[in-house]
Amino acid sequence: MERTDAPAASTEPADLTPNLIAFIESDVALHDEPIEGATDLLLTGLVDSLGVVVIVDWLEHECAVTIDPADVILDHFQTVDQMVAFVDTLTPR
Amino acid sequence: MVVEFTYGADRGYACQFVSVSAAARAPHTIAGLVDPARLAAGGVSLDGPAVADGARTLSWSEYDQRIGQLATVLRDGGVRPGDRVAIHLTKSVDSFCAVHAVIRAGAVMVPLDPLAPVAAVAAVAADAAPVALVSDARNAVLGPLTDALRPSLLVTPTSDDPPTAGAHGHVASAAAIEAASPTVADDGLNPHSPAYIIYTSGSTGRPKGIVHTHASALAYARAAVDLYELRPSDHHANIAPLHFDQSTFELYAAPLAGASVLVVPDAVMRFPASLAQLAAEQRVTVWYSVPYLLTQLLERGGLDERDLSSLRWVLFGGEAFPPTSLAALMQHIPQARFSNVYGPAEVNQCTHFEPRQPLDDAVPIGAAWAAAELVVVSPHEPSGEAAVVADGEAGQLLVASPTMMSGYWQREDLTRAAIVERTDSPGVRWYATGDLVRRRVDGELEFLGRSDNQVKVRGHRIELEAVDAALLDQPGVRAATVVVERPEGGEHRLIAAVVVDGEALDDRATLGALRRRLPSYAVPSEIRSVPSLPRTGTGKVDRNAAAAMLITG
Repeated sequence: MERTDAPAASTEPADLTPNLIAFIESDVALHDEPIEGATDLLLTGLVDSLGVVVIVDWLEHECAVTIDPADVILDHFQTVDQMVAFVDTLTPR
Repeated sequence: MVVEFTYGADRGYACQFVSVSAAARAPHTIAGLVDPARLAAGGVSLDGPAVADGARTLSWSEYDQRIGQLATVLRDGGVRPGDRVAIHLTKSVDSFCAVHAVIRAGAVMVPLDPLAPVAAVAAVAADAAPVALVSDARNAVLGPLTDALRPSLLVTPTSDDPPTAGAHGHVASAAAIEAASPTVADDGLNPHSPAYIIYTSGSTGRPKGIVHTHASALAYARAAVDLYELRPSDHHANIAPLHFDQSTFELYAAPLAGASVLVVPDAVMRFPASLAQLAAEQRVTVWYSVPYLLTQLLERGGLDERDLSSLRWVLFGGEAFPPTSLAALMQHIPQARFSNVYGPAEVNQCTHFEPRQPLDDAVPIGAAWAAAELVVVSPHEPSGEAAVVADGEAGQLLVASPTMMSGYWQREDLTRAAIVERTDSPGVRWYATGDLVRRRVDGELEFLGRSDNQVKVRGHRIELEAVDAALLDQPGVRAATVVVERPEGGEHRLIAAVVVDGEALDDRATLGALRRRLPSYAVPSEIRSVPSLPRTGTGKVDRNAAAAMLITG
């Protein structure tokens, strides 16, 4: 899992929530609706299964982490707050 | 016991139901499916599980009561037999109750996509003109939807409080359902009355409603129970949403057999690892989905750590399953039998094929099941008189079956074009699928493609003209066409080629606008700006030439 040649994270932890919200709003959201940290992205239909894959890729790149497919579960991705908390448990590469 | 189906003028065939005790007392309509008396007579325990969604489980008694209460609320709210009732619910125990409640009320069920843009949903619903709407949408969505539809009855079964948006007529929330005395199942409806309408996008972008009757839905359920030997001990995973015709398997075939259903919540569907975990924990025995979801399970579901030994059938359909992925999946679930299901929503299902290792290059769609007759005819002549082609030759597939729709909702023109009588079989109604097939020497049919511009992405039907039209409406787009990339063993992708006015197109903004207008599966994966599009001799955009230009290899 740990790599030494990977680029450093391009989003600082403090900026992760606003940057992730901005990314979801611009590149993933399936309709116009203000997103907050606690917004349920799945039951509102804002994010579909391809959207989840896009978000995982973005988090891996921006936070320089590797996300195990087995960790891509509902409890980690229902809201932006949950995603940020989950990424916080990962060790940057 | 043997049940006779008849269709056309004087044809009939027998369908065997020797193995299924719950089906021994065959209902006449799908309103007779969740009927405690029938189920008990078939040996089904009424205290046993009927429907679950991971959070809640209802026994058959509870399911029947909840369906009956909601049916009462609908009737008291003015719903009459033949009226359309739109269901706009995310997947749960409640959505299954709502479907059967609409049917028990004698009304026509119209499932809407609860996760699609409101504008797309409103266009579908407006065509069906429902008198009532059953919804669990938030006020932000409910408001615009009810403003568009103005239903005289709004039912919100998952909410204790009336919604603050959406009231144009009578409103009934969860408390009203709880308080209602249940309407009992009545199997005495006319079997030829409409039961549900499933919508598909027409080629002009105008939604097209496929009308199924009680008789056609029940004929499908019977044939499915018979072919897959469904029984009360089965536990189905419902993967498909209500507005996708695959869900008719769990909605009607499962209760006919007295089998229970796990309704997989929409949120879980987005997470293959969660989906695999739920299927394992709930000891699912029958699975039916598009290949896309099974491929996702294989790649990201962590199947090595999941015990899927309870699965006895894995059905897949809607599009081709890449053989390498299918072979890998079959190794992961060695005890299960697999079935490639083929059939347009107009007939639900008409062929099946059971793949066995080692697999061929492509999985055929197989041969007719007991409820269908097939004929392959020349695609170059009108379907009614087109010559039957020889085995091994490509032709259009025509289907005659009691599972066939009665027609397209209020579209006599489309119905007449799709359902034809042939000079060689007077009195028999044949559905012209528009699908090109070829019969192999071993008798199995191979799917070759479409005779029009309909394509499938993740199992969903897409008319490419509708995507073209959405692109052309975007600012700065002068000409546009959409082509399909079919990577070897991978998922189909839509690629848009556009000619822009002046400056370069803002791809992200354009894709964002399309996501808000089209269902997500119809949004192109990529937009490529080109100086011009190839045209045919008549000046129309030449989609095939554009595809050759855009897709290499």
